[in-house]
Amino acid sequence: MINGINELKKNIIKKPELLAPAGDIERLKIAFHYGADAVYLGGSLFGLRANAINFSLDDIKQSVEYAHSLGKKIYVTVNIALHSKELQDLENYLKELDKIKVDAIIVSDPAVIEMAKKHTSLEIHLSTQASTLNIEAVKFFKKQGVTRIVLGREANREEIKNIIDETGIEIETFIHGAMCSSISGRCVLSNFFTLRDSNRGGCSQICRWDFNLLNEKKEKLEGEKPFTFCTKDLSQLKYIKDMINSGIASFKIEGRMRSIYYIATIVGVYRKVIDNYCNQTINYEYNLKDEQILRSCANRDAVSQFYDGTNDHTCQYYNGREEVSNQDFLGVILEYKKSTKLAKVEQRNYFKIDDKIEIFGPNIEDISFSLKEIFDEDMNPIEIVRHPKQIVYFKVDKEVYPNDLIRIKK
Amino acid sequence: MYMKLMIMPNSLDMVKNMIDKYDAVMIGIENLSINMPKYYSYEEFKEMYDICKQNGKEVFVALNKNMHNKDLDYLKEIMFKLEYLDVSGIMYYDVALVNIKLENNLKTSLVWGQEHLTTNAITSNFWNSYGADYTLVSSEITSDEVLEMQKESKSKLIVTVFGHLPMFVSERHLVKNYLKTFDLKDNSEINYIENSGNIYPIIDNDLGTISYSSHVLNGINEVLKFREIGINYILLNPFLISDNDFKIVLDLFNSVNGDNIENYSKQIEEMFNTDYGFFNKETIYKVKKND
Repeated sequence: MINGINELKKNIIKKPELLAPAGDIERLKIAFHYGADAVYLGGSLFGLRANAINFSLDDIKQSVEYAHSLGKKIYVTVNIALHSKELQDLENYLKELDKIKVDAIIVSDPAVIEMAKKHTSLEIHLSTQASTLNIEAVKFFKKQGVTRIVLGREANREEIKNIIDETGIEIETFIHGAMCSSISGRCVLSNFFTLRDSNRGGCSQICRWDFNLLNEKKEKLEGEKPFTFCTKDLSQLKYIKDMINSGIASFKIEGRMRSIYYIATIVGVYRKVIDNYCNQTINYEYNLKDEQILRSCANRDAVSQFYDGTNDHTCQYYNGREEVSNQDFLGVILEYKKSTKLAKVEQRNYFKIDDKIEIFGPNIEDISFSLKEIFDEDMNPIEIVRHPKQIVYFKVDKEVYPNDLIRIKK
Repeated sequence: MYMKLMIMPNSLDMVKNMIDKYDAVMIGIENLSINMPKYYSYEEFKEMYDICKQNGKEVFVALNKNMHNKDLDYLKEIMFKLEYLDVSGIMYYDVALVNIKLENNLKTSLVWGQEHLTTNAITSNFWNSYGADYTLVSSEITSDEVLEMQKESKSKLIVTVFGHLPMFVSERHLVKNYLKTFDLKDNSEINYIENSGNIYPIIDNDLGTISYSSHVLNGINEVLKFREIGINYILLNPFLISDNDFKIVLDLFNSVNGDNIENYSKQIEEMFNTDYGFFNKETIYKVKKND
């Protein structure tokens, strides 16, 4: 009976795309390895993360070929606020992206939409930078030939559902990552404080700076911590079932500048949850352990915010500018020999004998154990692994695979 | 060509008492506008409109907040009402207004007013083809870039030359959230945030939070250049400026010429904590190159 219901559900529910960020090719490969259906990236021109490493046209070509070989997709951001001088180069850039066969471009400026339609056959997605929040705006962009809209982060559950039902267009929404405190496109704090243009890729995250808050008489209001604009991260884990049922086409993870550990962890958890709900069982339940894994890898609180209407003081972050860098990520599996059960590992953070570790990856159940032996490259026993990118070996009883990751077990 | 002077009135009295000092007004409507010195009910707006029209002034309306589905009925109601008036243009941020105009064949022109994104002529011309006969130019581009836009733009350009500049808009209640988190009491209508000796106005109202620049933009040095190249409107915002001071500022902008420009600029500098905004400062686009 349950199998029958599951089969019926599979026919009704459309599994959403899981869309991951990538700041470079290593992270792109990790995102796909851990289950992303598509990756979005910024070219070295016209993307909103100018201080990420970003992709040259050759990198994009290589990424597209790699993605297509896996049956997956690449989207390229072209979503800065363009100044006149940049527009001269844009047409050629779009033609190159078309030639490379990227699966879509993500744009915010309608002039780019018009140019892409005129000179290329590129599919066009509308960036969240356009802050689209209502049916009328969606209708306009649909008429322009946009095939997917990344809604503004301020859209709530009912609005998203209503837009999907009324317009029939593909909708993409964020499910995880940092949130702008402002409406996208309406913040130029970075321009004023650091001369870096937030709408052209230079955002210097002034929202995380500390300020004194003053009353109208310009007297300081003494809170325990300074005022900031900063908000907690977004996590939609507990609403995944609800979001799938509402027909959202693509679930987007924020963070083109995040580490491979972050990408692997976040993509891996959401992959598992989406698959569990869509493929497996009618008994799907939100799992607190998954939530803890998501939170631990970012070292920042994450909440739902606008989606469920809890857009209040509980969404704010007043921890000052100090953020502890994540030490949980210990290393990457490079090789595994079944005959010896030895895993070859590249170190990313300090670890030592007797540490409790956990290995996770897309093709294995999490493997936890205490480290009893570690060997250096010449197979000499060592106690501590302290050097960045140091190559070491240790035994793992169950089979592990390249690009599986190792974290400290808490 | 005559360059018109536009203001965003912060009271009915300003509309009346300074009627001979401006050519056009841009008025904000309650629940549909943002980044305006004040927001008015339709009835209050209509009173201002009537005074302006009796005196041969142009009237623009700002319906420039980001719209949710729940805002659309009221937005349409106001847009339909404005059809019966002689309104020069409705300023929009949200593209919903463009679609409503198109689908209902509304005749009132639009003003492309996407604040920080109005940075090039090609996009301005795109919106022009959908009925935006005006563009309010971003305050974060240089005066040279304004000149570039003017050369290619089919729309009439409006350039902000005076006032505190909007830096940040959020639907979050950031001041109220802070007060609640730390159990503080404060009923200020306006607050300030302070960093490195500068003080920035911040307002938390029903629509969310807005923050403005610490300095007052003094663009009088650019006015002659703008007039020469054919900019159609300069915009002055009296937010946090007293009526008396604003009158003086309007007089200076109305009578500026090649002989007095330096003195007038100094006079404004002495009255307020001013800077030149981004007219002479180019923001950084790329901060790291890898190829």
